[in-house]
Amino acid sequence: MGSQFVDFNGDGHVDYLSATFDGSPHISYGSEKGWSVPEHLRDAQGERILITSFWNYEDGQHQETTRAMSGDDITGERCISALAFDWDADGDYDLLLGSYENGHLYRQMNEGSNAAPEFTGKNIPVMTGKVPFALIARLTTPRLVDWDSDGDMDLIVGSIGDSYGTGKGGGVYLSRNLGKPGAPSFGAFETLIVPSSKGQSAPTRPDAGLYADAVDFDGDGDLDLIVGGYSLWTPKARNISADEQEKVKALQAERQAVSRDRQKVSSKLSQAIMEATKGMDRKSPEAIEKVKPIRAKYMPDITPLTRQIAELDKQISEYIPSKQKASFVWLYERK
Amino acid sequence: MNLISIKTAALLAIVCALPWVQDSEAKPGDVSLFKSPVRLEAGDNFLGQKRLYPSPVLHDMDGDGLPDIVVGDLWGKVTVATGLAGSDGKVSFAQEKAAQNRDGKPLKFNNW
Repeated sequence: MGSQFVDFNGDGHVDYLSATFDGSPHISYGSEKGWSVPEHLRDAQGERILITSFWNYEDGQHQETTRAMSGDDITGERCISALAFDWDADGDYDLLLGSYENGHLYRQMNEGSNAAPEFTGKNIPVMTGKVPFALIARLTTPRLVDWDSDGDMDLIVGSIGDSYGTGKGGGVYLSRNLGKPGAPSFGAFETLIVPSSKGQSAPTRPDAGLYADAVDFDGDGDLDLIVGGYSLWTPKARNISADEQEKVKALQAERQAVSRDRQKVSSKLSQAIMEATKGMDRKSPEAIEKVKPIRAKYMPDITPLTRQIAELDKQISEYIPSKQKASFVWLYERK
Repeated sequence: MNLISIKTAALLAIVCALPWVQDSEAKPGDVSLFKSPVRLEAGDNFLGQKRLYPSPVLHDMDGDGLPDIVVGDLWGKVTVATGLAGSDGKVSFAQEKAAQNRDGKPLKFNNW
């Protein structure tokens, strides 16, 4: 959920622009009375602004559309970040839309005004040099800031990285604006925060899902970063006695047995779903309705087994530390 | 066109007392550009705990001239850690509270 505070409609009050995992930017208008209930931003045709993937609230499912793209060859890109930026310096805000999956960035131009915007409904790829802007480790959100104090807005971007396993984590990057007013041109990525290699025994930094904001946090004249994200670590194991080792073996054996039981019931559930929805689009409302009673039949057996596994994991972790994952917000202060 | 509101300009005046100076000694890409990161605190807790992909942004939400930290997340929930002026001139942050819309209900951006 990338956020930007900006006077979007030019009425003298700061508004709150953000995009969510439903695939579209939203706006909450500010006023003397406070913040309005957020609503979708719409283009000149009245359609939700998006890239291709979106959550359809009426149908209750994720769907795809290529109506906002120039061709049918780009799919599977969900807008989870949005920025207001006057790309062509004509006095009104255009939109930058960040794609989660491929880390692409698009612009959608405003052919109206801030008070009466008319977004075209068509996304144009933002380039870094001659190649499309692409953050392969998946884009969290871009931020606009004059990082190099040359009078134009540069981009600070964060990446997701591997949020669950031992793969490389996320980082933060700078893409300088090398263009001129009305014709921005963003350069190749420069690393500000190196992607995490993880493997620590305590939380020492954000390892995955890095959402950064560039601000002069300490008022010393240079830009710092505040970064939200997940820290992943495994506490150091203590020496355990022979008796404790035996206890751990017994707990692990019990866990294996309960896992096998759960797997048996889960397999029956999966099989029943596959048979009941054979030939159907499993994302369709009809298939989803058909699955509901099947889940209701098997979940009462699966849920207690899942809880039992969690309790056994907790007991085992008292002797053998388990991987930890927790969210924090970090300050990276400039030297 | 002046794209910065009066309130944001006041915020910038406080936290950016000096003109921004480009650091000529450390370049982007240099891993030592920053000091070791530290977890920010809000009240008695760490900021951003138990959130689904916390996304922070600095903004003066209450218009008192002090920066507040607004934290959104993947659910669309928004919290604010209000900035508090210390006697030493430094700003600390109060415990996070849910941001509210003009109807007094939690400010929430719809998700899936």
